[in-house]
Amino acid sequence: MTSTFAIIAQLLLVPALSPLFIGIIRKIKARMQNRHGASIFQPYRDLNKLFHKDEIISSDATFIFRIAPYMVFAVTLVVAISIPIITTFIPHFGTSDLLAVMYMLAFGTFFLALGGIDVGGPFGGFGASREMTISALAEGGLIFSLFAVSCMAGTTDLLSIPHALLAYGSTATLATVLAFFGFCVALLAENMRFPFDNPSTHLELTMVHEAMIIEYSGKRLALMEWASANKLFIFIALGANMFFPYGIAASADLSAVIISLGILLAKALLFCIAIAVIESTTAKLRLFRLPDLLFLSFIASSLAIIFTI
Amino acid sequence: MAEFFLSQTGFIVLFVIFALGAIASMIARRSDSDANMLGNGFAIIGSLWGALFGGFALISANQTMNFAFTIPFSPLPALTFSVDKLSAFFILLISSVAFLASIYALDYVKHFYKKYSIGALGFFYNLFIASMLLVVTSSNAIMFLTAWELMSLTSYFLVVYDRAESKNTQAGLQYFAMMQIGTIFVAAVFVILYSFTGSTNFSEIRAAAANIPTLWQGIIFAAALLGFGMKSGIVPLHIWLPDAHPAAPSHVSALMSGVMIKTGIYMLMRVLLDFFQAPPVWWGVVILAVGAISALLGVLYALTEHNIKRLLAYHSIENIGIILLGLGSALVFSSLHMPALATVAIIASLFHTLNHAIFKSLLFLGAGSVISQTHTANIEEYGGLARTMPYTAFFFLIGSMAISALPPFNGFFSEWLTFQSLFAGILNNTNGMMLQWAFLIAGGALALTGGLALACFVKAFGVTFLARPRSTHAQHAHESGIFMQIGMGALALSALLLGVFSGAVTGVLQSVGATFFPISSAVAPALSANTSAISLQNGFAFVSGINLFLLMLIAILSTVIASAYVVYRKQRIIEGTTWDCGTPATPRMELTATGFSRTIITIFKAVLRPRLHISTTYKYGESYMPLSRSAEFSVTDIFRSYCYEPVSSFALGASAQIKKIQSGNINAYFLYTFIALIGILCITTL
Amino acid sequence: MTLSLTYFLISLFFFTTISMHAVRKNAILVVLYAVQSLAVVLLLMYGAWLDQSIILSIVALFALLVKTTLIPRFFGMLISKNLITFSSSTYLKLPITALIVAGLAVLPSTHVFAPLLAIAPQHAHEIAFSLGAFFISCFMLVNRRDGMSQMIGLLSLENSIVAFAFFAGLEQSAMLQIGIIFDVLVWVFIATLLASLAYKQFGTLDTDTMRHLTE
Repeated sequence: MTSTFAIIAQLLLVPALSPLFIGIIRKIKARMQNRHGASIFQPYRDLNKLFHKDEIISSDATFIFRIAPYMVFAVTLVVAISIPIITTFIPHFGTSDLLAVMYMLAFGTFFLALGGIDVGGPFGGFGASREMTISALAEGGLIFSLFAVSCMAGTTDLLSIPHALLAYGSTATLATVLAFFGFCVALLAENMRFPFDNPSTHLELTMVHEAMIIEYSGKRLALMEWASANKLFIFIALGANMFFPYGIAASADLSAVIISLGILLAKALLFCIAIAVIESTTAKLRLFRLPDLLFLSFIASSLAIIFTI
Repeated sequence: MAEFFLSQTGFIVLFVIFALGAIASMIARRSDSDANMLGNGFAIIGSLWGALFGGFALISANQTMNFAFTIPFSPLPALTFSVDKLSAFFILLISSVAFLASIYALDYVKHFYKKYSIGALGFFYNLFIASMLLVVTSSNAIMFLTAWELMSLTSYFLVVYDRAESKNTQAGLQYFAMMQIGTIFVAAVFVILYSFTGSTNFSEIRAAAANIPTLWQGIIFAAALLGFGMKSGIVPLHIWLPDAHPAAPSHVSALMSGVMIKTGIYMLMRVLLDFFQAPPVWWGVVILAVGAISALLGVLYALTEHNIKRLLAYHSIENIGIILLGLGSALVFSSLHMPALATVAIIASLFHTLNHAIFKSLLFLGAGSVISQTHTANIEEYGGLARTMPYTAFFFLIGSMAISALPPFNGFFSEWLTFQSLFAGILNNTNGMMLQWAFLIAGGALALTGGLALACFVKAFGVTFLARPRSTHAQHAHESGIFMQIGMGALALSALLLGVFSGAVTGVLQSVGATFFPISSAVAPALSANTSAISLQNGFAFVSGINLFLLMLIAILSTVIASAYVVYRKQRIIEGTTWDCGTPATPRMELTATGFSRTIITIFKAVLRPRLHISTTYKYGESYMPLSRSAEFSVTDIFRSYCYEPVSSFALGASAQIKKIQSGNINAYFLYTFIALIGILCITTL
Repeated sequence: MTLSLTYFLISLFFFTTISMHAVRKNAILVVLYAVQSLAVVLLLMYGAWLDQSIILSIVALFALLVKTTLIPRFFGMLISKNLITFSSSTYLKLPITALIVAGLAVLPSTHVFAPLLAIAPQHAHEIAFSLGAFFISCFMLVNRRDGMSQMIGLLSLENSIVAFAFFAGLEQSAMLQIGIIFDVLVWVFIATLLASLAYKQFGTLDTDTMRHLTE
């Protein structure tokens, strides 16, 4: 019973909190640029506005365009209830395996890219091309970084890793740091943040994710943006709980859950600050320099595995 | 029921049906539709029989069935066949795919009416399927080699069936030559085995194989890898595959790619795992390396292709690489005396074999539908086909998702099992670092391959079916015929079901794995699977097919319902045009396949070596006022230029040198004969 | 007496074979061939008389007819119709030809061919002669450029094989001989036909000039 509550709470928490983190990142960036910036709750207002708007769908679009936003958003929901966010005490559905989570996110990327190609505009096409290139190369580093942690924990089931890691102790700090570095690079790559992509540009020279969703409007655009916010939150939660699992609740005890929620928010805040600082201080890398960074992440993760085994 | 199928009569009837189909098709060759109906009809009945045979043998038979047939009044020894779990699995695989491909062919073959002889197509097609079934059930080396050669020969005729195009006949010739070279190695394997064990029967070879000296075991391994690998299409012996598979008619391509190359895998399993009970470790490592290289290079070359069938052929090479990763892990674990983990690895390999057969056939059948409607195989001329061929698009989408290993389809689960066996190898720290690093590199290759395959199928599906049509043919395409849809739909449904019920499939495959690695009751099996989930030892990993599917379905449905009906009901959806910056949108504004993969090709340019050749013709002389420019972007096939070209130019050069003794003068020829005669007489009397 | 008859015949046979290398006129070549065939036929008749077989003697008579009259007449017709009186030159000059012929004559008596000679030890010399004639006929095929000489050389080759078979004590069946004669007859028909056609086309039977047949 309590585990059902926990899972419903997690299911509602992820979509509820994810636009907040987007807002926080934008606020920090604005402050660093000496602006006031919009309120941190602005993304909620944006989503609300988009849900109430009419849609225009291109006559060139096929059924893929229409179903893609639902697919992408639904996948983030399924992943949300499969990973430990505030507690590891949720029912094991068999969907929380490392590879299952990775490939479900790839499912979302697949439909995102197809939706971009579907309208037949030039932006969607090259956006999909760039996205698939980056995603293909990032997947190796991502899987291996999480696998490094699995080696330490002795299981690839993501729900069991945090507590197994806590029991493992701190003897493998170097490996954790290397794997964390690899994971962070993959996080930036998969969520289309600097230095891979600029989330606030619409110039064809630089946009990747925005290029794929450029034709969407109304509810579908809302779902797409919300899904990418969800994905960012999922990655932040993974980064926080897999590599530094201090404070996560082991049961569905209310006080433990609330403490764990607070600790998670604090860690997520750290992540947001880091992302915002990176976005304000570095430039987006040229496309052909990105593979070097991604291979670096892969090598770092491999080194982490070698140090663990 | 099971006893009826699993008897000697059942076995004979299986082949008799195909023989009847071949003969009936030839007899009816005057009438195209009759030949089509008879040839494919008998193939359908025969494959159904074979599927039932294989299914019953897999599930209910407890021991190997041996059949021996003696031909009266003939000096030949008895023809022996044996059906154990592995053979039963492959019979089921071959028959199911053949069944659905033959249903598809009922409509597809109509495109060849009045052009070529349908009777001949039916003849060779039935013989092809029958020969594949013979290959996986033979238990005698002579019978096996005969069946192997028959398979190569019938598939050659099917490859050159569309002989109006010269590149098809060239592809067929190259295919035939390479198959013969492969058969030399295969024959060498059995010759060496015979010389050491004194028998051509598989059961006797199995009993005596452990006594073969290690050096010769290594030679047998190398010859088997070369011979059977050439049939399976491992890199660098894969040159024939991208040329031969597109040349054949699409349902034959589906069979060749989905099933025929798996017979090479079957024999590798038979020779390496079944004959030799304790192979050395380096065998497994070599196969891991070969698998990793094939997977990576297959997918990289697939990204450069625009011919949709060549693209799918290169993906077959990639998936064979993944199957070999599982087989290599099984070999390594078997040499390290870890039968539990070896079972997991071999289950991964077998499951991926099954899955690849299903989704590759699905993709080839879809490609066949598209090609027959648009009369070209170049994906740069497709576009917008999802509007005119919605069912084909939907089935192709499912095939693309399955091959990219997206849950909840079957590709994901077999790749999951392969990953898990590689992970187990990485974590196994009792046999040295080098072995762990080998598994680590293989794991990295698999991860990279998965991502690149996803990219390739975004390109393939997107450019083919989405956006605007790029040519007039694509504009006027119709949906495929009803039988083609049934064939593809059944394969798509099986892809989904195999994924959802992957636990049950894994359970069945465990019994197949047990034939190789009998697990004593003292050792706990590493894998436990029931209908809903697969889990690995000690809670290391756990995945559930049904739950994945149900959760995703529920999530999608709830999103759709919430968004469409709950949030704001008064939304209007207006149809407009794509944002085109003010100019009318033409098909030229869309993504091209070349453009899509250009980035990845440039990133991997060390391997792929792209060449950009720009030439300009000028109006006046050599410069000033260009008249026209042409740009050609190509990728060099490094295997052709570094492996095959030197060998073939050496062979041609040597032949040219030897040709000099042919002077055209009769007296010279008499002289050669005379000298040879005296020489032989002298030598024999010495 | 009998021994010396066979010895005489085989020596005649051998001598004609060697002389074929020396002559230049085609007519004399044909005559030499006729004499050679006569020697072989007489050998066959002798064998038939020894075996007291009527069939063999009939066959031997038939062989006489064919080999000594019919075939030379064919060749004569060929020569007169096409006026090929002289054979063209050989590849090797006469002294070297003679040297090689001598070598080939001695070759069967060496130890290399001892097993062959051991088949019928009492006729060892005759077998040696037959083998020598065989090799010398082969050499004629190699050495001569003229199509005519090559035909004669082939026929003498066949003769030497028959002689070898006779002396090696191999089975003297009538059917075998008939088969050989029939084969030879048909071959000669076709060869003369081809020779006349070739002569019409090329103007010569010199094989050296007949390299480019497709023109």
